[in-house]
Amino acid sequence: MSYAFYPGCVSRGGCPELYPSAVKVAGRLGLGLEELTDVGCNGAGVLSRAVSDPINARTFAKAEARGLTQLMTICSTCTGVMGGANLRLKEAPAYRERINREFLAEERLAYQGSVDVKHLLWLLVEDYGLDRLRAEVRRPLKGLRVSPFYGCYIRRPDGILEGKPARKRYLEMVIEALGAEVTDFGGKGKCCGFPVLTANEPNSMAMVAAHTGEAKSKGAECMVTPCPLCHLNLDGGQPRAAKMKGTAIDLPILHLPQLIGLALGFSAEELHLKRHIVPTRQVAEKVSLLT
Amino acid sequence: MELIFKVYRHDPTAGTKPALESYPVSLPDGATVLDGLLQIRDRHDGGLAFRAACGRGFCGECTLRINRSGKLACITRVAQVAKDGEVTVEPVRNITVLKDLVYDVDELLWQKIAWVEPWLRPATAQPDGGYVIPDAELEPIRKAMSCYYCGLCDEGCSVIPFDRRFSGPAALTKAFRVVFDPRDGAARERLKRLGEPRGMWDCVHCYEANEHCPRGIDPTDRIFDLRDKAVELGVKSGTANPQVARHYDSFAASVRQSGWLDEGRLALETWGLGRLGELLPMAWRALRRGKLPVPYLHRKRPGAEWIRRIFDKVEKRS
Amino acid sequence: MPDHTVVVVGGGVAGIRAALAARAQGADVALVSKVHPLRSHSCTSQGGLNAALAPDDSWETHAQDTVAGGDFLGDQDAVETLAREAPDAVLELDRWGAPFNRDERGRLALRRLAGANRARACYADDLTGHVVLQVLHEQLLAARVPAYVEWVVTSLLMDDGACRGVVALELATGTLHAITARAVVLATGGFGRVYEPTGASLGLTGDGLALAYRAGAVLMDMEMVQYHPTALTGTGALLTEALLGEGALLVTGGGERVMAEAAPRLGERAPRDLLSRSIASRLKAGEAVLLDARPIGGARLGRSFGVTRHLVKAVAGLDLAKEPVPVEPVPHRTMGGVRVDLHGATGLPGLFAAGGCAATGVHGANRLGGNSLLEALVFGRRAGEAAARAAAAAPTGQGASSRLADEERALEALTARGGGPDAAAAIRQALTRTMREQVGLFREAAGLAEATRTIVGLQERHRGLGVTASGRRWNSALVSHLELGHLLEVARVVAAAALARQESRGVHARRDFPERDDTGWLRHTLASFTPDGPKLDAQPVVITRWPPGRRAY
Repeated sequence: MSYAFYPGCVSRGGCPELYPSAVKVAGRLGLGLEELTDVGCNGAGVLSRAVSDPINARTFAKAEARGLTQLMTICSTCTGVMGGANLRLKEAPAYRERINREFLAEERLAYQGSVDVKHLLWLLVEDYGLDRLRAEVRRPLKGLRVSPFYGCYIRRPDGILEGKPARKRYLEMVIEALGAEVTDFGGKGKCCGFPVLTANEPNSMAMVAAHTGEAKSKGAECMVTPCPLCHLNLDGGQPRAAKMKGTAIDLPILHLPQLIGLALGFSAEELHLKRHIVPTRQVAEKVSLLT
Repeated sequence: MELIFKVYRHDPTAGTKPALESYPVSLPDGATVLDGLLQIRDRHDGGLAFRAACGRGFCGECTLRINRSGKLACITRVAQVAKDGEVTVEPVRNITVLKDLVYDVDELLWQKIAWVEPWLRPATAQPDGGYVIPDAELEPIRKAMSCYYCGLCDEGCSVIPFDRRFSGPAALTKAFRVVFDPRDGAARERLKRLGEPRGMWDCVHCYEANEHCPRGIDPTDRIFDLRDKAVELGVKSGTANPQVARHYDSFAASVRQSGWLDEGRLALETWGLGRLGELLPMAWRALRRGKLPVPYLHRKRPGAEWIRRIFDKVEKRS
Repeated sequence: MPDHTVVVVGGGVAGIRAALAARAQGADVALVSKVHPLRSHSCTSQGGLNAALAPDDSWETHAQDTVAGGDFLGDQDAVETLAREAPDAVLELDRWGAPFNRDERGRLALRRLAGANRARACYADDLTGHVVLQVLHEQLLAARVPAYVEWVVTSLLMDDGACRGVVALELATGTLHAITARAVVLATGGFGRVYEPTGASLGLTGDGLALAYRAGAVLMDMEMVQYHPTALTGTGALLTEALLGEGALLVTGGGERVMAEAAPRLGERAPRDLLSRSIASRLKAGEAVLLDARPIGGARLGRSFGVTRHLVKAVAGLDLAKEPVPVEPVPHRTMGGVRVDLHGATGLPGLFAAGGCAATGVHGANRLGGNSLLEALVFGRRAGEAAARAAAAAPTGQGASSRLADEERALEALTARGGGPDAAAAIRQALTRTMREQVGLFREAAGLAEATRTIVGLQERHRGLGVTASGRRWNSALVSHLELGHLLEVARVVAAAALARQESRGVHARRDFPERDDTGWLRHTLASFTPDGPKLDAQPVVITRWPPGRRAY
């Protein structure tokens, strides 16, 4: 099956290590990706829905125009924002028609409502299958203690789960499929604080410190997240958050494709683990000793 | 049913420690947790402090943590929550406990609701026979006003545990009720106030509120409605947090020009050179690892002109 | 000690409306309430607000429906006032931002409620009271009226027969305060908690009635207790009568229409007293009675009865849109209260009353749906205005400090005496059982006399009882003790008045006197406090335009 691939802005901007990791992993797994290059930022929950809904309708229409109905993202925020927009557009044909007419018609586009937005994480569990993933694992991450961190938008609101409550456990399922060990903690489904980095930095940093600190105290050696925005805060903000709290944390934060990539046999260099703010050396070393 | 109720007891003025006390309770099928608490008062301790008023799901007064999950005691059937014949009843989290199950709802809710100044300021004089308004415009207002201040959205809020002063989803839902009332004429002033620190921009839109609201009001979406309205009216921040407006403007300008986000530019324009200096250690670390894209150098996406046209049309419409 | 010009006791619709009116007159007014205003019982009212707003409606027909609904016991001057001022009261809420439903032309939509001969009630889905209360509370915040929330009034400060404030217990600290004023408005709601099960909030313990009664005010029509016809069986959860108004049916287990005989014309839209008795008779005969809301349609049910539907689902696991649900009548609205004139004046200088705790005489022997919130608004405003006017001319009361000290000693004595919770609970349970069994939907002399004896005995026991108390802060045992005293006081009057009225009228159904008797009983029952029990008296019904006639539904 072919997927329309929506990489999002951050995977090549603030987290430039994510995009190549995702592409490598998809290639190894044999996911047929057709990247959408001529589409816009989905708004990330910042832009008002008045603007972002038409932009996203356009993205979906572009996918349809290429004969694709499955759209893959590698970002929880992209998934949530585009998924939410898609829900509105699908549920209210009149609304979709109005957007088609007002915004898309002059580009000779129209969104028919056939697209499904799927995070790589969902796609792996629901379409690809964990058994196939296990079969592709070259280097089981035996003994590596990993805490999951989802990012709000692939858990909430309810509608995003599309009637599949198990989506709230997929990260753990993937971590285990890769041979690693899950270090569970209460903050895994909570907010990373990134959305208020601008409006209220102290709150944002306090959230980073609380979640990374909790996972670390439960024994995690690293954290994995399917959301690069969470990554920006949990990794990039971690030193400052630790300083504001007056403690050391030093918990490496991995992108989901990086963790998968390690298990598929890619090297730390190939997955750009050195581009992180919190040093990932110990994780890389531990993994390199595995066979 | 024969059950054990484990009830949080504490008098903070007595210098003792909080404790879960066990009480045997005997209830008919279909009985609620409130029935159990009332029976404890009748049979074991008349001084057990908890709040309850209407007793049937209308007033929102008896919100408690029941077997570790926020619920209204009066419409929660014991049979549905009891685990191994036990029901644990505690005050909600992140709030000052006054005595036993009574907590400071003034701090959690009432002060915040007063802060949003939720009274109508009519735009026009009322015509004879009342305002003529399509019902579709009032339906969302009724929905928002079906909120009965149970506080479950605030209890589940991601921000309040870190900052109790955050106005929270309940108060912001109340704000929605006046901002979007077709009779109100003060949206701009209201949104300016709501835009100040601890107002709507402090919301992380994690959608926990939607999950916790028992009336299906979807408070997170109501906060998005407020923020979208603020953008539409050009009130993108309060006076004490101008960086919020700069962040929005920069974000929008970047997407408008190139179709996607210029993160370097966003950081620079949001914080300005002065604040960036303060954040220099962070910026330096990011730069060294190639994580801080050089501002203004990013390429236009193909088709960016169509994205720009979407912005133009939305602007023209509002 | 706090001092204000006017003090309003109670934060429901009547209380807030009174406070706003007093404030509008320039009075320094404060509100005292034992629960936060938004938790007041007003929020449970679902159906609507009657007002002759339709072009082809008139205040006269509203008044006429009200008088007939009340089985001609209503004071027609009060009913006229209610009906004339109803449209303004509703439009005021519209001005303040109440999101009442609109019709297809965007004007206030009207729904039909029981006992009305046409659609006359404006409404907000199934949350009319909740919405009205919120809008009033918003105005209270706007007017910056100080509110003493979770303060329980323990007595009225009487000075030479005039009311000049209240003594109140602040729950959060356990401190007793005197709040002095030149006028007091009681708006504490009804006394439905003399029954169990009941649709009444836990706090409806007749506080205002008992306080005023002990201070010398007169209680009126206390025998008139209305049952809500359609409570979800075994739960006390009320299903709004707007369901019946909008097409729901009452059927027996065998599929027979319950109201076919008793009200061939209005059927399920007959007044509550008829509905309740018809349903109760079927239940007594061993039949099940079901409310079938399916004729309303799933879409309308979801849109306008969402809260009711959710409630039924939560407490009974049934879906109104899919299946009929079993119903039974439960005690609901009390028509009796502190006798007041058209301005809420009780006859005691400085003391006013409005809403559920007052008897304006508008409801007569049976209240119509849609008239309660309305009465609270219209007469709440009038009482607030009158209190502000009276206060402006009144002297400051004397002796508040010594009264406060007396009260303090009484509370100390109570807590010093000690006592188990079971004794108080036993008294309350005996009271509610007696009221249910002997002063219920159908009554007769022997039972009523026995009820009186029982209640007198319970009062004795209550007087000897103390309170187990671990400190005064948030001492619910202490509050319950005071409330139980009020319940007993009020219940005794209900039983006595019910025994006295030897006829059947409206909600008052005597098995031994099954007919209405206009010659002997077209009059109000009055009760005054004496240490030996209520002294009963009577006063004529005010009749302006509508002579008593047969009720035909």
